Amino acid sequence: MSSSKIPPLTYKVVAECSVSKARAGLMTLRHSEVRTPVFMPVGTQGTLKGVLPDQLIELDCQIVLGNTYHLGLRPGIETLKLAGGLHNFMGWPRAILTDSGGFQMVSLLQLAEIDERGVNFRSPFDNSECMLTPEHSMQIQNAIGADIMMQLDDVVKTTTTGPRVEEAMERTIRWVDRCIEAHARDDDQSLFPIVQGGLDVPLRERCVSALMERQVRGFAVGGLSGGESKHDFWRMVHVCTDRLPRGKPRYLMGVGFAADLVVCVALGIDMFDCVFPTRTARFGCALVDSGQINLKQQKYKHDMQPIDEACECSTCKRYTRSYLHHIAASETVSSSLLSVHNVAYQLRLMRSMREAIQRDEFPQFVRDFMARHFGRDPIPSWIREALAAVKIELPPDAAQEQTASS
Amino acid sequence: MKFVLKSISKNSGRLGQLRIKQSKELQTPLLLQTTKGGSIPYLSAEVFDLVSQEHQQVLQLTLSTMDQMSESLAQWNRSLSDYVGYPGYNTLLLLRDPCETTPTGGNDRDVVPLFTRHGKESLTAARYMDMVANFAPDVYQGLCDADTNPESTKKRVQKSVDRTERFMELCYEQHSKLARLKDSTLLAPIVGGYSTFARTQSIKHARQQPAGSYGGYILEGFHTNGLAATELKAAQLLPIVEHCVQQLEEEQPRLMPGAYTPLLLLELIRLGVDVFDSSYAYCAATNYKALTFSYVRDKAEHAAFLDVTDEAIKEDFKPLLEDCSCLSCQKHTRAYIHHLYKTHELLGTILLMIHNLHHYMCFFEAIRASMAADQLPELIEHVRMQNTTAEVNYRIEPNNKVVGKAAMGKGFIAAAV
Repeated sequence: MSSSKIPPLTYKVVAECSVSKARAGLMTLRHSEVRTPVFMPVGTQGTLKGVLPDQLIELDCQIVLGNTYHLGLRPGIETLKLAGGLHNFMGWPRAILTDSGGFQMVSLLQLAEIDERGVNFRSPFDNSECMLTPEHSMQIQNAIGADIMMQLDDVVKTTTTGPRVEEAMERTIRWVDRCIEAHARDDDQSLFPIVQGGLDVPLRERCVSALMERQVRGFAVGGLSGGESKHDFWRMVHVCTDRLPRGKPRYLMGVGFAADLVVCVALGIDMFDCVFPTRTARFGCALVDSGQINLKQQKYKHDMQPIDEACECSTCKRYTRSYLHHIAASETVSSSLLSVHNVAYQLRLMRSMREAIQRDEFPQFVRDFMARHFGRDPIPSWIREALAAVKIELPPDAAQEQTASS
Repeated sequence: MKFVLKSISKNSGRLGQLRIKQSKELQTPLLLQTTKGGSIPYLSAEVFDLVSQEHQQVLQLTLSTMDQMSESLAQWNRSLSDYVGYPGYNTLLLLRDPCETTPTGGNDRDVVPLFTRHGKESLTAARYMDMVANFAPDVYQGLCDADTNPESTKKRVQKSVDRTERFMELCYEQHSKLARLKDSTLLAPIVGGYSTFARTQSIKHARQQPAGSYGGYILEGFHTNGLAATELKAAQLLPIVEHCVQQLEEEQPRLMPGAYTPLLLLELIRLGVDVFDSSYAYCAATNYKALTFSYVRDKAEHAAFLDVTDEAIKEDFKPLLEDCSCLSCQKHTRAYIHHLYKTHELLGTILLMIHNLHHYMCFFEAIRASMAADQLPELIEHVRMQNTTAEVNYRIEPNNKVVGKAAMGKGFIAAAV
């Protein structure tokens, strides 16, 4: 087979920001080319809630995320194997990334416990005791057939401190070897290891170094975006991207708020995922540059503008805020309409960052974005610090300026 | 609105052309697109464009699902179809949502109950006409008491006719006065349950009106919407409809909203009813049934539906209906849609709705073609039997199944032990 000669993932840096660590890249996968930095919408159970694959293609979405835990339960790997993998099963011709299933178990199942063998859990099916090992995670992910798959990692709460953090980091490294060993489709699928180490800089550094010794095609940064302070959050990202190799893609798991995306692209991250845009859509919220607007609010009742004049999505082309206000709580189609807009918003944000990097105008893009995003509100100090760490200076806040001049 | 009869056949019903405002000519028998809150159920306009390349359909909007928009629409200076995301479409406004059972009761001498998502509102004729004026639809129905079904008492039926007459006096008056309705067409409601006497009285009242008072008829009061319409018996419904049709002005189009089964719908067309809606396709989709009946005469046996909740299709990678050209059947499998049902994913009902609407629109094309060839009776027989040995049951059973954990895949567990 000729396909086995080309690696299932190739990545090349297309442009780099001359100031920050931001970079634009091209990642070529078996099912799609992916232009980075990229946001991957989440399609947990083999569908992005309420959105057709054709609509995602129309939005120029190149890669979506699927959840191994959910897909393993339903439809189950036997069905997925018979279907010839998740791409066929869900009718999505482009790239897919799957997580390992471990995170969902720990966060969704009360009785999950972790030991050296794997994650112990009670089956929601018959309450019997089961075990998800690194090998099983690979087996399921091989059946799903995603272009990129994640190692099973030892997940601890972001705010955990003490020896448990180090144990989890060391175990994650041991488990990546078991995953690499068990991975049966390395010609079609690329396995990413996950950098762990909590909020501890030396642990993060050790983890990156150890993982870089393995034969892998990209890296994920995990264990963040789970309730830690933003000051810790950006520093950990910064530490990791400082050490990760330039020539391989870097994926920051579970991050998707607009301001976080802009900061983390500046810190050198290439890939993101988050349920937020589609989840908030189901609550009647639409993403705009200033954050999000809740269309259920009375003030939108007679607002005859689209969500965003500048947005090119099919929702903004056809519908007013007023109409969306009236159907937000009552018609399920509203969550489809807002999901389309919100995904379009995320993808457009990523596209404008990519273009700014290619023009080498990224620092100015960041300044403009932050001005639009925060308006008259002060820019949070962690954002100023994180951007300053990559030499992007933001103008002082309007409020500070006033006090300074008076 | 202009209606031109093209042909009337003794056995094959009547073919006509309807022109609403500046629209192109619409062929009757015509299928209206039923909506909820102004949207085709589950589908965004972008998705509906993928289902139908016909860009000037008629949306059947309902006040019971759009009442909350009345004030906003009063401030909207473009067309109603623009507001709901379907520019260029025609709009027809009804009072009640044919997709859902209308609660009974709440009628009074001077008011009609409007059952909405926010509760019940009592509509006087004056209030109703003010709301309609806010909407400014291309076509709308006159206010009527249609709270009757095959079981209604004589007294209830008579009240519905008497009250409707009173409401309509004001509707006719206001229709000519309200500036926002000067381009709208009013449909005269014909009520009276299953009583020939009451129906005749209702029709007489409409026909007494000066010429040009209304542009068509809407026949209601046979059922109280939702799945009730799918349960009607031909032997019960057809005689009373035939009684009405014989007395209606021939040059006016006749609308019968509701989820009549495909078989009953064909019989109604044979009697001379011209306009229907897609609520049957919706009712099937929302109860996880894909329409699979055949409307092209062949030799194979066909079933009315494919039940997507059926475990037997868990690993069936065929489309919902083989040889169907809809987006769902072109790109997705039974197994996938079954999975979406089990996981309560919205996309499941979206894909079913796409298929069912497509199927129903093609059905209407086949109906018109068979009428043009004077072969409606043959089509009716085909739809009745579907090449099986017994009459096919087109009733829609509500889906009350609960997806239990036992339905979860064992594959995961198999992998993890």
